[in-house]
Amino acid sequence: MESTGKVKSFNLLKKLGSYGLMFKKGDFFTKTSFFIMGFGSFMRKQLFAGIALLFIQLTFIVFMSTSGLKFLTGLIKLGTMTQGKVWNEEMGIYIMSKGDNSMLFLLFGVATIFVVIAFIYVYFANIKLAYTNQQLIQEGKRPMRFKETVNILLDEKFHITVLSLPVLLTFMFTIVPLVFMILIAFTNFDANHQPPGNLFTWVGFSNFTSVLWDNPLKSHTFSSLLVWTLIWATFATVLNYLFGMILALMINKKGIRLKKFWRTIFVVTIAVPQFVSLLLMSRLLADQGPVNLILQSMGWVKTFVPFLSDGNVARVTVIVVNLWVGIPYTMLITSGILMNIPVDIYESAKIDGAGPIRQFTAITLPYMLFVTTPYLITQFIGNINNFNVIYLLTGGGPLSLNLYQAGKTDLLVTWLYKLTVNYQDYALASTIGIFIFILSAFFSLVVFNRSSSVKKEEEFQ
Amino acid sequence: MKKLFVAVLALVLVTSMSACTKVKEKITLKVWAPQEEQVLLASMVEAFKKANTGSEYTIELGVVSEADAKTKYLEDPEAAADVFMFANDQIKDLVKSGSLYEITKNKAAIIAANVPGSVEAATVGGKLYGYPMTADNGYFMYYDSSVFTATDVKSMEAMLTKAAAANKKIFMDVSNGWYIASFFLGAGNTIKIGTDGKQVVDFNNAKGLAVGEYIKSFTANPAFLTGDDNILKGGIGTTIAAGVSGTWNAADIQSKLGANYAAAKLPTIKLGGVDTQMGSFGGFKLIGVNSLTKAPLAAMALAEFLTNEANQLKRFTTRSLGPSNIKASADPAVKANIALAALAAQSPFAVSQNDVLGTYWAPAEAFGLAMETKDYTKTVQQLLDALVAQVNS
Amino acid sequence: MIKSMKTRSFIYNTFIHLILSIMSVIWLLPIAWLVLVSFREEPGAYTPYLIPKSFTLSNYTRLFTETKLFNYPRWFLNTFIVAVLTCLISTMLILLTSYALSRLRFKLRKPMMNIALVLGMFPGFMSMIAVYHILKAFGLTQSLAALVLVYSGGAALGYYISKGFFDTIPKSIDEAAMLDGASKSQIFWKITLPLSKPIVVYTILTAFMGPWMDFIFVSVIMKDNYRNYTVALGLYQMLTRENIYQYFTRFAAGAVLIAIPITIIFIYMQKYYVSGITGGSVKG
Repeated sequence: MESTGKVKSFNLLKKLGSYGLMFKKGDFFTKTSFFIMGFGSFMRKQLFAGIALLFIQLTFIVFMSTSGLKFLTGLIKLGTMTQGKVWNEEMGIYIMSKGDNSMLFLLFGVATIFVVIAFIYVYFANIKLAYTNQQLIQEGKRPMRFKETVNILLDEKFHITVLSLPVLLTFMFTIVPLVFMILIAFTNFDANHQPPGNLFTWVGFSNFTSVLWDNPLKSHTFSSLLVWTLIWATFATVLNYLFGMILALMINKKGIRLKKFWRTIFVVTIAVPQFVSLLLMSRLLADQGPVNLILQSMGWVKTFVPFLSDGNVARVTVIVVNLWVGIPYTMLITSGILMNIPVDIYESAKIDGAGPIRQFTAITLPYMLFVTTPYLITQFIGNINNFNVIYLLTGGGPLSLNLYQAGKTDLLVTWLYKLTVNYQDYALASTIGIFIFILSAFFSLVVFNRSSSVKKEEEFQ
Repeated sequence: MKKLFVAVLALVLVTSMSACTKVKEKITLKVWAPQEEQVLLASMVEAFKKANTGSEYTIELGVVSEADAKTKYLEDPEAAADVFMFANDQIKDLVKSGSLYEITKNKAAIIAANVPGSVEAATVGGKLYGYPMTADNGYFMYYDSSVFTATDVKSMEAMLTKAAAANKKIFMDVSNGWYIASFFLGAGNTIKIGTDGKQVVDFNNAKGLAVGEYIKSFTANPAFLTGDDNILKGGIGTTIAAGVSGTWNAADIQSKLGANYAAAKLPTIKLGGVDTQMGSFGGFKLIGVNSLTKAPLAAMALAEFLTNEANQLKRFTTRSLGPSNIKASADPAVKANIALAALAAQSPFAVSQNDVLGTYWAPAEAFGLAMETKDYTKTVQQLLDALVAQVNS
Repeated sequence: MIKSMKTRSFIYNTFIHLILSIMSVIWLLPIAWLVLVSFREEPGAYTPYLIPKSFTLSNYTRLFTETKLFNYPRWFLNTFIVAVLTCLISTMLILLTSYALSRLRFKLRKPMMNIALVLGMFPGFMSMIAVYHILKAFGLTQSLAALVLVYSGGAALGYYISKGFFDTIPKSIDEAAMLDGASKSQIFWKITLPLSKPIVVYTILTAFMGPWMDFIFVSVIMKDNYRNYTVALGLYQMLTRENIYQYFTRFAAGAVLIAIPITIIFIYMQKYYVSGITGGSVKG
């Protein structure tokens, strides 16, 4: 059960209190560990842990004193010195003096905050370790040696070993940039405030208020693009999934020959880079493109079919082309999982007289949905943000004067991208991005946690 | 004593001699240019080093196309080149972000040496921020001389009639803010920047309405064809008899048309019974100096060298890029280049893009698209009003 | 009646074979066009006809001989190295992470799954610039090592597919092994992995493919370092306004060449893509 916010903060206080208690009850070694990390471990012959902790403490102190503090204070104002110039008569040019780069101030400040948090975590772990060791000795047992720790890390605490590197990398390359981007929404980082010549600074919530209360054309564009984005994401996800699964079933079925051959054909289409295939498609389906030429020469249509140039036709085209792009992927994934369904379930169903369709709806579909619910959610959200397919195929077009700087197949993300590229209004882009993010996150968390896959996880296994 | 004196004298002489030979200053510069320019650039850089032996230069070349220069610069200004080539439509943003070093050395000489349009494109707020390099990023009319005579291409109406008769097409990418402006600019509409820094266009006034109606009938004409460069290059000489485009396609179009290769300035269009010359956007390529450079004097010297008369001429001979240098463009070889001659004929009617902001492009394209797809659900006036509303917002 | 069941089966199967054939043709058409264009002699990105007028191998040979402007061989090598390294690192990261989240129970498990689900949802373009500067702080810009880090760094977030697969392996197998005294680590390497061949194949394939396809990240990280470009970015450069007419056919040839290693890997891995063994081991 998830604890509520109030209970959580109460727990935090309790925890802090417990550390205070550890200090009080601690012996000399433990107390010193509060100031020299690793002391407790070191003195109790946990050489490796002791040295490692001390090393971390020293590195942190060096880092903070040389650059860390600077980065943290830089966060307050995001730079004060603007680019300056002084006329130098002798050389005949201006001598430029470098200004502060607000963007870098923000980024490094955020990174330093994470470093500080990480250090605090290690610090408390260090104290806990010292105290635990003390308790062990009081009970007459010996603190863990290196070899024993390694063994535990490979068994009970295997998750720590296994997850430490991914977590570190994710922090560095996903979380820090994400926080950085979110914070930009609270600044005025736009075309008029571009480094290196200009500074930007905090503006609180003013971006949010201006987006929500802005002109009617922009709100109309936002709502109609939102509707299309949801329609697109639904069709794209559901159709790709269903057809991919059906395709996988067909290939997997007993009695179908050349299974490898069929699979390879479809894999070839994903082996060609997506931007190449999409570019090809946009050429093939152009008004004067080969597909139209063939259709006209065969007499099936009189004039060219506006696959990509008519708003409504383009929307259908985009969904269909996305099928072409996506079905090989869904086929591969569902294929692998399908193969894991125990064959005996099907056998007993057949004996009970169930036909193929009944087998599908009663066995295959529920099983697949169960296993792939997180995948489906992520695909849906991914399609909401599916920049590539739309942008490379139609560029978001055809443009319409009913929409503000947007076209009929634009998703919210492609519209956002165009706004940023045309205006360099990063603050606005981040603000709208946050709205999209909140919507997506809320939706997916709710569905994910309520879905049967999470509830029945234990039962299933 | 004498020996000692001679020894001391010799010592003094030697030390004073070594003090005379100064240690050469070491200067490192980085230059950005597109891939197609790299070979030429390498030879020009070598020539620069030979001409400036006073310092020891290490010059590194990087590949960044002119169109990407601004983006690549802003991603990391400190890692950007000291000297870089960029398209003039980026200059406003570059100046606003403080990326360009103001050019004050030899400013008068540079201004005098280059075509006024290119200097205007390199100037913001009265200050010079770039060294003009090429003056050929505008557009004009290519045509098949076996279909059209030189007189035909003077008027759009004449061209359309002849093309229809020969069952060929006239190509123009009307759903493109860059090309569609030619109609409006020629008629006297303006694209300006207001006092609040926002874009102001007047395309929905009476003049603009006449233009809009003209575009409507032009795109409805059976001899009209739209598309992109690839369609023009694919069909010229066969299904397409003339097309509006720029010098970047000259070589390919020439190879397709062979002896029938010809080009001229844009024709006139009949507005309210009067033959009105179509306008156009003029584009230039400039070389800028990074405001964060550690060697400003050297960088400026290099930039000036790369854009001097001799090197601009070299660029023309190797890559057919039209020079912005006045003397270089007077060179007979340049004058004989058909595409450049057409561009030069069009340039009196060309307007610089310096005052065009980002909000202009999408609405203009949307309007052109509505005309091309013959989407007449709204009147031309309504569409133009919507266009102006979006651009001016 | 056995006979009618057999014929029903036969008709059914033939029907499916027919559908598969039609689908294959549809799927392969654009690829076929790509291959045709790669052998086409006439330049240009737009031709009013489908079958080239004259065929040539020069597009392929010129990719490798005319390297002054577009150094395809070097890019190919770059991308191959990055792909192999990324493949190794990413696959390990993904499989370990999904195993931990599927099999092991620890305090932060649910929150971690939720966070990972949500992390990919922010539509951000500034993240690339942020990542670039973070790499720069470590002195890693414009290098292939930086690319490998970037591609593998966020890999663990794609855990949900593998985790879904691991969830379908019955826990009874794990429990049997633990009774025999195996540690969690041993269970992972010796039991779970061998049973998960289809998903391992899928993970390896997608991890290997990533670097061949991306041209956005590499453009930000490599900037002007032309020699370290990957194939995707290099091909993309062939499509600029100035280049596309002369280079479109070579672009097609380059794209075909990219598809080859990926297809080969898949064909090779098909051996391991066998039907589930789990059914058997539970019964037994």
